[in-house]
Amino acid sequence: MSARASLPAVNRYSQAVWRRNALVWRRLIGPSLTTNVLDPLIFLFAFGYGLGAVIDRVGGMSYLAFVVPGMMCYAAMFAASFESTISTYARFSLQRTWDAILATPVSLTELMLGEMSWAATKGVFSASCVIVVGSLWGGVASPVGVLLALPALALGAICFACCGLAVTAQAKSWDIFAYFFTFWVTPMFMFSGTFFEVGRFPWFVQAIAWVLPMTHLIAVVRPLTAGVAVDPLAAAGHLLYVAALAAAAFSLARWRFGARLFG
Amino acid sequence: MDGTVAAAMPVIEVEALEKRYGEVHAVRGVSFSIPAGSCTGLLGPNGAGKTTIMRMIMALVQPTAGALRLFGKPPSALGRSMRERVGLVPQEDNLDPDLSVRQNLEVYGRYFGLPARTIAERVPRLLAFMQLAERGGAKVMQLSGGMKRRLTIARALIADPELIILDEPTTGLDPQARVLIWRRLLDLKREGKTLLLTTHYMDEAQRLSDRIIIIDGGRILDEGAPKDLIARHVRGHVVEVAKPLPRGFSEDGLERNDIGDAVLYYANDPAEVTRRLPADAAYLRREANLEDVFLRLTGHSLRQGE
Ligand SMILES: Nc1ncnc2c1ncn2[C@@H]1O[C@H](COP(=O)(O)OP(=O)(O)OP(=O)(O)O)[C@@H](O)[C@H]1O
Ligand SMILES: [Mg+2]
Repeated sequence: MSARASLPAVNRYSQAVWRRNALVWRRLIGPSLTTNVLDPLIFLFAFGYGLGAVIDRVGGMSYLAFVVPGMMCYAAMFAASFESTISTYARFSLQRTWDAILATPVSLTELMLGEMSWAATKGVFSASCVIVVGSLWGGVASPVGVLLALPALALGAICFACCGLAVTAQAKSWDIFAYFFTFWVTPMFMFSGTFFEVGRFPWFVQAIAWVLPMTHLIAVVRPLTAGVAVDPLAAAGHLLYVAALAAAAFSLARWRFGARLFG
Repeated sequence: MDGTVAAAMPVIEVEALEKRYGEVHAVRGVSFSIPAGSCTGLLGPNGAGKTTIMRMIMALVQPTAGALRLFGKPPSALGRSMRERVGLVPQEDNLDPDLSVRQNLEVYGRYFGLPARTIAERVPRLLAFMQLAERGGAKVMQLSGGMKRRLTIARALIADPELIILDEPTTGLDPQARVLIWRRLLDLKREGKTLLLTTHYMDEAQRLSDRIIIIDGGRILDEGAPKDLIARHVRGHVVEVAKPLPRGFSEDGLERNDIGDAVLYYANDPAEVTRRLPADAAYLRREANLEDVFLRLTGHSLRQGE
């Protein structure tokens, strides 16, 4: 709560939107908690017996220590992306929830900030479930590092939510989201260093990987949770990239939604 | 309209307002002003531009040209405070299907920035006012059409607005449900609220409105108090004669309006028409009403594409 209140633009009007989504989600907290805890458990179990047996050490750490931070980022990315696209589009078009909200004092920017911060909240929630499961499984070497990784994960979730909104702002039907998952979510799952080191791919794949915000997020989170020395300058560079992309995506989304809604 | 209402500050002033959607010229230069505390009925056939005008007033649609003032100021100058003073009942249902009846009101109150205490105090009152008190915990999907409409009106009242814009508040409702809504709208008018309303039911418009604006094809055809419009456009009585018209019946000098399967004749004295009809001719005689004005001004045939 205090994190939201400290952002100047996230005022009580965007909080009202955030709270609306939280209220709806509250009923689903049981199933949501179950899947968010079970998903990483299944992953860890499968990878522990599968890849973990084949791969011994990656990037100077055990495969478990390598893959758990990747899964944290992936969980944040998937939840924030899903909420800001499929779920937000349902409220925008199918349910006309946005129509109803825009007839109130809530401005379009505030409405978008409310949706964005909610999607980011879900991302952080999913990542936190992985943190708990991963820690119990023994995949987090540095408890202090994981606390430091949390704000980075939150920034990442904000960025994924903004990118999702930018796509939703273009959507004329549900079809676009198939492309979104194929060309955005899946590449971040495969090439951003979740399961393998980015450096293993050919140069052109690496070039693409470093465009994706996920790659930068993992580059910051992984050394933190593994308790490996972090280059502060490099970390700042990665986080700056993620933040800049978030701002650009949000501005694009605002511009497109504005043209569509009030044109 | 009496003198005090006419003298009150206009709540809405619209001047040469226009809206184009690409090729479609939805609103073509509309001017009117709505005094505080009055109820104005905006009437017109499907596609006339009623919803577009209302959405422009709410700043939900950008006008292509023209000027608009709410509470004496352009909407851009009012910003957020404008929305705080206006309640909208949209034509298409947009209640929140994920929330219960009560939650719909509570969440909406938060969009207006109302304190929790105010919301807690107003929600039960509004539910009672709209006769939804027993359904507070129901899901929106479990409501009948009439209940949904009542909830939408309750929602528009959550911030105690001065101006209430209602886009077809009773379309599709049964007579009892309509009567309840009429009673509530008259209550609101008595409280001094300003109402702007569209409807396709002429009896409803006549009953609720101090003033009627009839539009078609994005233009105002005429405006005035219901009884003045009736006096101006149709005489006191209507004689409706089914087609085919009786042989030997002379229409010379009669005011007529062909509505397809019948012809309406307007006359101060119905005998002017009936005495020309053969003794066995079937006809219907009644007092002229707003419906006749509407048909007279907008024609009877459905426009292309409607
Ligand atoms: N978003 C839009 N894009 C393109 N055309 C539109 C849009 N909204 C309305 N129109 C067109 O503008 C015209 C006026 O529509 P509007 O909805 O204002 O009519 P209305 O008087 O409210 O009709 P009804 O009684 O059917 O509700 C119609 O021709 C309609 O097709
Ligand atoms: Mg309409």
